[in-house]
Amino acid sequence: MYALSYQRAKSLEDAATLLAAEPEAKLMAGGQTLIPTLKARLAQPSHLVDLARVKELQGIELKGGVLSIGAMTRHFDVMSSPVVQKAIPGLANLASLIGDLQVRNRGTMGGSIANNDPAADYPAGVLAHNTTIVTNRREIAADDYFQGMFATALEEGEIIIRLDWPVPKQSAYSKFEHPASGYAMAGTCIAQLADGSVRVGVTGAGSSGAFRWTEAEEALAKSFSLKSLEGLKIDPENCLADLHAPAEYRAHLVGVMATRALQKML
Amino acid sequence: MSKIEMTVNGKKVSGEAEDRTLLVNFLRDNLSLTGTHVGCDTSQCGCCTIHLNGEAVKSCTMLAAQAEGADIVTIEGMAKGEKLHPVQQAFTECHGLQCGFCTPGMIMTSAAILKQSPNPTEEEIVKGLHGNLCRCTGYVNIVKSVKRAAEIINSGG
Amino acid sequence: MRFSVFVLPQPQSVPHLLLEKASNMQPSRREDLRLIQGAGHYTADWNQPGQLYGFVLRSPHAHADIVSLNIEPARAMPGVVRVMTFADTQAAGFKSLVGGVAPNVKGVGDSAMLKPFYPVLADKKVHYVGQAVAYVIAESAAVAQDATEAIEVEYNELPPVVTVEDAVAASAPQLHTEAPGNVAFVYQRGDAAAVEEAFKKAKYTSKIHLESQRLIVNPMEPRACLAVYHKEEDRYTLYSSSQGIVNMRNQVSTVTGIPQAKLEIVAEDVGGSFGIRSTPYPEYMASLLAAKELGRPIKWVGTRTDSFLSDYHGRALELNGEIAIDENGKFLAFRWDDRVDLGGYAGGNGAFIGTNNVTITCGGVYDVPALYARTRLIYTNTTPISAYRGAGRPDIAFAIERLVDQACHDHGFDPVELRRKNFVTPAQMPYKTAIGTNYDCGDFAAVMDDALAQADYAGYAARKAASEKAGKIRGIGFATFLEASGGGNTPSDQTAARFNAKGEVTIYCAAGASGQGHETTFVWLFAKELGVPEKGISYRASDSSMAVVGNGTGGSRTLLGQGSSFKLLAQKVIEKAKPHAAEALGASAGDVTYAEGKFSAGGKSVGLWELAQKLATSASAHPFDCGAEGTFGVTFPNGCHVAEVEFDPITGVAEIAAYAAVDDLGNVMQPTLVLGQVHGGVVQGAGQVFAEHAVYDRESGQFLTGSFMDYTMPRASMVPLAMKWRGHAVPTKSNLLGAKGVGESGCSGSLPALMNAVMNALRPYGVDNMQMPITAAKVWQALQENQGAGAERRAA
Repeated sequence: MYALSYQRAKSLEDAATLLAAEPEAKLMAGGQTLIPTLKARLAQPSHLVDLARVKELQGIELKGGVLSIGAMTRHFDVMSSPVVQKAIPGLANLASLIGDLQVRNRGTMGGSIANNDPAADYPAGVLAHNTTIVTNRREIAADDYFQGMFATALEEGEIIIRLDWPVPKQSAYSKFEHPASGYAMAGTCIAQLADGSVRVGVTGAGSSGAFRWTEAEEALAKSFSLKSLEGLKIDPENCLADLHAPAEYRAHLVGVMATRALQKML
Repeated sequence: MSKIEMTVNGKKVSGEAEDRTLLVNFLRDNLSLTGTHVGCDTSQCGCCTIHLNGEAVKSCTMLAAQAEGADIVTIEGMAKGEKLHPVQQAFTECHGLQCGFCTPGMIMTSAAILKQSPNPTEEEIVKGLHGNLCRCTGYVNIVKSVKRAAEIINSGG
Repeated sequence: MRFSVFVLPQPQSVPHLLLEKASNMQPSRREDLRLIQGAGHYTADWNQPGQLYGFVLRSPHAHADIVSLNIEPARAMPGVVRVMTFADTQAAGFKSLVGGVAPNVKGVGDSAMLKPFYPVLADKKVHYVGQAVAYVIAESAAVAQDATEAIEVEYNELPPVVTVEDAVAASAPQLHTEAPGNVAFVYQRGDAAAVEEAFKKAKYTSKIHLESQRLIVNPMEPRACLAVYHKEEDRYTLYSSSQGIVNMRNQVSTVTGIPQAKLEIVAEDVGGSFGIRSTPYPEYMASLLAAKELGRPIKWVGTRTDSFLSDYHGRALELNGEIAIDENGKFLAFRWDDRVDLGGYAGGNGAFIGTNNVTITCGGVYDVPALYARTRLIYTNTTPISAYRGAGRPDIAFAIERLVDQACHDHGFDPVELRRKNFVTPAQMPYKTAIGTNYDCGDFAAVMDDALAQADYAGYAARKAASEKAGKIRGIGFATFLEASGGGNTPSDQTAARFNAKGEVTIYCAAGASGQGHETTFVWLFAKELGVPEKGISYRASDSSMAVVGNGTGGSRTLLGQGSSFKLLAQKVIEKAKPHAAEALGASAGDVTYAEGKFSAGGKSVGLWELAQKLATSASAHPFDCGAEGTFGVTFPNGCHVAEVEFDPITGVAEIAAYAAVDDLGNVMQPTLVLGQVHGGVVQGAGQVFAEHAVYDRESGQFLTGSFMDYTMPRASMVPLAMKWRGHAVPTKSNLLGAKGVGESGCSGSLPALMNAVMNALRPYGVDNMQMPITAAKVWQALQENQGAGAERRAA
């Protein structure tokens, strides 16, 4: 890790001020991706602004059919919160599949979403649930937020405060783990929203990050059944290929994970 | 350099360290608690697992500064007085260690698994150990050790 | 001989009290109490006052000329004390790192191995990604790392070759001028003409091409060292994890020129070795040099990235086998034509493995009248290889058993009966193989029958049907294998006993443990031989201040080598004590008898410890102090492992559905520890079969699997937790314990058993051969590609 200065933000406003004060400052949430990145010297921020003690970013609250989850909520808290388990059990399950026990005790929802790793789990959930990303400046719709690998709609100095998850009728996530890293090689989240519409979010497989699988959405909107997924296929052209799996395999897995997610709901 | 204070194994401690210092290095170098090991750079092996405010975390994946004011337990603090922690006891009873390098992390993670699930199924144990690598034991006796530790705890040991 | 002045910093005391106070506790091992409390002393745990820190600048290229190297920007950074390059090691007279076959081993045409100079720090060229180029020494590890980035190296990149195939191509770039065509050595063994003759006569023949892919050894403790120079005595201490100090000291001395007598090697707890810690690495030598020059201790702690790039890699063999069988199903000949990817240089034991170890048992458990093996050792732009669990033994065991299974498949032989018909029988023992190896004992048919019974081989059809019903593809496979263990390169295994002023004894040997439990086993053995409780006996290994020599840990040999020597040592102690007992009892030595810790004569008796205590003085030597040594032969542990695997055809994911093994390890001393070794070995084999692969990019020579993010390690989830095992002892007479060794058999059994099961599952789906690792993606793809062929086969 290169030398840097550590700063602990006391409030949201303090965080914004610290972040703005230094051109090479960077926010730190749980640090579970950031710290390994820094250790590998793949990034060189001059300052780290730790959000851990910013009160405005904490808390889980269910209000008017929307589950609001503070950006600094850890994966463990999401998976074990009775409120989340009751309102969106599919989301609690998704959180339980992230990383490992230790990582879930540190990693946060906001940190994951801000980083937008193409193989992270939450992006599939956010896209499927049509979640709103609430920042210190505005509200960003899920569909506008993800802009390719590690790229998001967040502007310089913008800080995610919370994520507003509209409570769906039901939702489920299924993930095929990368054998070495444990990240998603393909992860598919299906949500049947309160208005009856269906959204399908896919992570791990796409060559430009998480995406919505609209063909599957349309088919499932017509009939919410396994039969609807039969024969549907992601174009491997749009999938990642590396030494662990060719694009065809990832494309295939997206469908398999969709089937397995749907099976959890039927 | 900043001064960092925390409670480790029940004692208030402090030390001076560069801001980039990882918690594991603070424990090992500043506090001479060398039972917490470093086995990788990518947060995969779990050799550095400790308890931070009662929860298992990888001390190589946080800065020492992030632990300011925290209550930390390392492998050196698991035994209570003259009595081993049940997980430590189970690991030796079941031959759950060979070279012993991954063992402190395995023990800290296992204790956390049992805190979350006092009667874990084999599947829960295996899933709980996902963030810990061992090259010697083939995990067979580690899983056995976690089951045995549950027995010891549940029988009031 | 003991160095009198230098006293090792003692590891922090372990509260042994806890053992007695903890309720219901039965510790498996003496080692455990410190290790489960974080009180072990691994190399990175040692510190010395005033120490400096090293960091290695590694080559980012697979193959390049070093055009220029400017260390000044790094030298000028605050906190940087020294930057070393090849010029420094050259000025110090450093020799090449040690590797290659022994000088007396000749290849085809009486040729010698072509061995380029392997520098501690790269000279004009780099030959693999990760090769050490410069060594920065600074006041902190972080500063040292910062400074490596300031070193300016201009490289002229050359085209790389990272596979054997590419390296031997006519147009391949030349790595070393000394080795034309990148061929280091062509070795052969056996009778090529007799084999050729047998193939002409054969009714049936089969052949197979197999790759035992390059692996990263990955013991959990990354390499580290701490080098100290003691100026007043002109002497060095090197703290470094090792499998045995003798080899380590020899080689460090050979490379650096430091006389062995001036070099103390210290290794306490070692976090796994599996073959890669028997020889020294560049950092150790550079640190010793810097420690003397700077007058301060130098500490280097490798990262996992350093492990991936610069620890010797394992396996990297290609095996091509052919079998000739007569009309009655009797084997006539095996022929092997193997290639070994040595990496950029001959380092460690890579060449020894690629010549001796892959050929010495190339007929396996079978009575094969004609054997011939040729292996070609090739240089590539990859990290040099050395031993990894089994060191060539699992590779050849795997190849033989895959070949035999292939023959069964090709010609319709029953895999059980074909093997049974061809086993070397107990009546044939001792048996000299066609390649000249002498098997002393073994009952291979009995071991196989025992294993098949344990695995319920007969009931497999029902399990297969159940899998099919659940939409899964199931396969069963087994392997009857044998390996040559116990060889060593030090002529004898010495042990020593030293009694202290309290009359307690410490026993010593030179082999370094890294999880095997030597401390437990040897204290137990010594106490058992003396007929006394273990109290008052302690064990120390790798103490180079004791002038004890012996082989390092490797080749599953320490129990039968050092263990036998400890047995002798106990007898020596009794011998030494007897005249003193006679004196104490007022009897003549001839009348004194010894049993269970007591000397008796004429109705009186005196205890061994009591006597030891009485005779103890503060002077350094105790009258009971003694040493023992012996040379013990090669053993042939063997076994039969039976595996069942189940594939999910939808994803290609494999599960080890059942695993049952029977091993003839000779006499077993510590069943719990032996079973632990079997578990570990089986799972390392499973890792190779299903997960692990060190991959280089064929074009750029870049290393693609440089961390646990890309290199798949076995995790708890891939393990057959319900693994069954039992021993089937046919004791050997080649050592005093009748033991054959266990370290490597798990791997030698699991590779072929699992792969035979994999092929048994996939053949009906049109897959005729598949190279490891059998990843889900690969299986799924193969099932897709072979849909037509598979359907036909299953219909037939």
